Amino acid sequence: MARIELQQLHKAFGDLAAVRQLDLEITEGEFLVLLGPSGCGKTTTLNMIAGLEAPTSGRVLFDGRDVSKISAYQRNVAMVFQSSLLYPHLSARRNIETSLRHSGLTRAERDRRITDVVRMLEIDPLVDKLPSQLSGGERQRVATAKAIVREPAAFLLDEPLSALDAALRLSLRSEIVNLQKRLGTTTVLVTHDQVEAMTMSDRIAVMSGGRLEQVGTPDQIYNEPATLFVAGFLGAPPMNLIAGQVEAGRFHGVGLSVPIAAAPGPVTLGVRPQDMRVLASETEGALVAHVFALEHLGRESVLIAEADKSTKLRVLVPPSFGARVGERLLLAPDPARCLLFDANGRRLPLGTPVRS
Amino acid sequence: MKRTGFLTVALIVALFWSLIPIYWFCRMAFLTPLEIQHYPWPLIPHAPNLAAFYNIFGFPYVLPGKLLSPASGQAEQIIRGLQDSVLVSLVVMVVTLAIAIPLAYVFARMQFRYKSSLLFAILFAVALPPVSTLIPFYVMYVRLGLAGTLGGLVIVDLTITVPFVTWMLIGYFRNLPPIERLAWVDGYSRFAALTRLVLPLARSGVAVAAIIAFLFAWNEFTYALVLVNGTTANTLPTAVSGFLHQYPEPGNLAASVLITFLPPALVAYFLQRHVSEMNLVDPVR
Repeated sequence: MARIELQQLHKAFGDLAAVRQLDLEITEGEFLVLLGPSGCGKTTTLNMIAGLEAPTSGRVLFDGRDVSKISAYQRNVAMVFQSSLLYPHLSARRNIETSLRHSGLTRAERDRRITDVVRMLEIDPLVDKLPSQLSGGERQRVATAKAIVREPAAFLLDEPLSALDAALRLSLRSEIVNLQKRLGTTTVLVTHDQVEAMTMSDRIAVMSGGRLEQVGTPDQIYNEPATLFVAGFLGAPPMNLIAGQVEAGRFHGVGLSVPIAAAPGPVTLGVRPQDMRVLASETEGALVAHVFALEHLGRESVLIAEADKSTKLRVLVPPSFGARVGERLLLAPDPARCLLFDANGRRLPLGTPVRS
Repeated sequence: MKRTGFLTVALIVALFWSLIPIYWFCRMAFLTPLEIQHYPWPLIPHAPNLAAFYNIFGFPYVLPGKLLSPASGQAEQIIRGLQDSVLVSLVVMVVTLAIAIPLAYVFARMQFRYKSSLLFAILFAVALPPVSTLIPFYVMYVRLGLAGTLGGLVIVDLTITVPFVTWMLIGYFRNLPPIERLAWVDGYSRFAALTRLVLPLARSGVAVAAIIAFLFAWNEFTYALVLVNGTTANTLPTAVSGFLHQYPEPGNLAASVLITFLPPALVAYFLQRHVSEMNLVDPVR
C-alpha cells in the first residue's frame, strides 16, 4: 500500500507532448480513476506510475521516495492490461505463478498465496486452462489474480473492462471495487467510460490533451465541474451547453433569456437535462425549440429538441410525455441549476440568481 | 455449386502440375535403363529395383537375370555433395536464426532513430536478383581465397536468408500480444523476456523461419555452381547436375533427384503443423 505522488510529470514523444506538467497525489488505499477521451495521456500517465515508461521530466514518488529511475518490478506494482493480457502460452496457474518468480518466497508460501487468490476469485476450475480457452470475464479474473497475488504496493488497471460485453462489465465493476475495498490497496484505473469512473472511484482525475482538468470525488466532478470539458464529458445524457453572453444580470443565447448573477461578457451556459423543463404556456425568456427525437428509457424519456441548426438540447421528461417530431415547444432551465463557463472554459463563480 | 466445381478442377490441375514430375522421377529411379527406354512406358514399374540407389552411392548392383548395373562415376560427387549440403544447410539455418531472431525482434518491438532506413537497408538485399551479385562475389571470393570453400558458400547463402527470414519474422513478432509489458512488471529483463517468453510463444514462426533458411541453402544452385562447383567443396544440386554432362544414366539421375527431395518432404511431414499454424496476422489465437 502506497501513497503515490506525481510531481510536474511530463512526457513527450518527439514533438508531441502526451502528458504536460502533471501534479497529482493519490492517497493510501484510494481508488483513483484516470478518466479522459482516447489520446488524452491517461494511459501514458499510468505507464509512468508503473515504470513502463520513463518521464521526460518530473518525478514519481511512492511513499515520499523517488521511484522515477527504478523498474516496474522494483516499484512492486501490479498491473492489469487492456483486454486482460496474459502470457498466451502459459496456463492460468503458471501465469499467476510468474508474478512471484523473483519474490524469494518459499515454495510452500507461494503455493499458499496462489491457493488463496484462486479461492478469493473463484477460479479453481480455470487454473489448468490456457488463456485462449478462457472467456473474457474469466481472463479478467485470472489477470486480477495474477496482479493481487504479489500483494503489491499499488494496483494499476488499464481499461480492464473495455473488451467485455455490457452485462459482464456491470458485474465485474462491482467485483473489482469490492476486492479493492477488502484489500485496501492503492488503485489507479484508467478508463474512457464515464459510468465506470463515476461508479468505481473514490476520486476521479479528468484529463484532456495531456492536462489534468479536475480532480475530485464523483459528486464534485458531476455537480461542480471545473471546466467546460469536464461538464460536457461527464453525465448521460450529456449536459446542455448553450453559447451566449451575460448582459445586465441575464444570460442571452439562442433565444433563451435567464436571470443570472454574473459579470457581463461572452459565456457558455451549462444545464443538465434533468434541470430543464418543458413549459405549458408562453413565458417570457423561454427558449423556442422543435422536437427532433424522443428517446424512451423506460423510467424516463430523453427529449431532444432543436433550438437552431447547431444547437440540440436534451430534456428529461416523464415517460408519459408525448410529442411529434417537428412540434414546437417552449423550454426553460432551472436558473438555480445553471452553470456558467467563461471564454477559456473555466467555470465562473455565481452569485445568488436574481428572481425574474 | 458452380464455385466448388471450379475449385475442384483447379485443384486437380494444380496437383497434376506438381505431382507429375515427382511421379516421373520416382518411376525412373526404380527402372533399369532398358525399361526406361521401352515404349509404351509402363505407368507403374513391373519389377521395381533399387539398382540406381546402390549405384549412385558407389555400389554395383546385380539385377535379376545376372545383369550387372555398375557403380556410377558420379558416386564420389554425390556422397560428398550430400555431406556438404547437409553441413551447409544446417550451418546456414543455425546462423540465420541466431542473427535474424534478435534483428527481427528489435525491428518489430522497439522504437529507435532511423529505424525505417535501417530496415530498408537490410531488406534491399532481397530485392537484388542473385545473378547480379554473382560476378562481384566470384571476383571478391577469388581474391579472398573463399572460392571453392564451404564457408564462402555459407556466407553467400546468409546474404539472402538473413534479410528474408528477418523480414518474415518482423511481421510475426509485430503481431504477438504486448507481453513484454507484463514481463517488466513480473521482473523479467528484456533479454529474459525474449528468450523465456517471446520465443516459446513464437515457436511456430521460428520453426517456419528455420525451414525457410534450411531449404534455401539446400536448394541453392546458382551460387554453388559458380563459387564451389568442380572443387572438393560441392553441394548436392551441383553434384546432381553433373549427370547432365556425362553418358546418360537417367535412372541414377532420377535417384539422386529423389534424394534431394527428401529433406523438403520430411520438413513438410514433421513441421506441417507449425506451417499451417503460423498465422502472420494473429499468431496467438
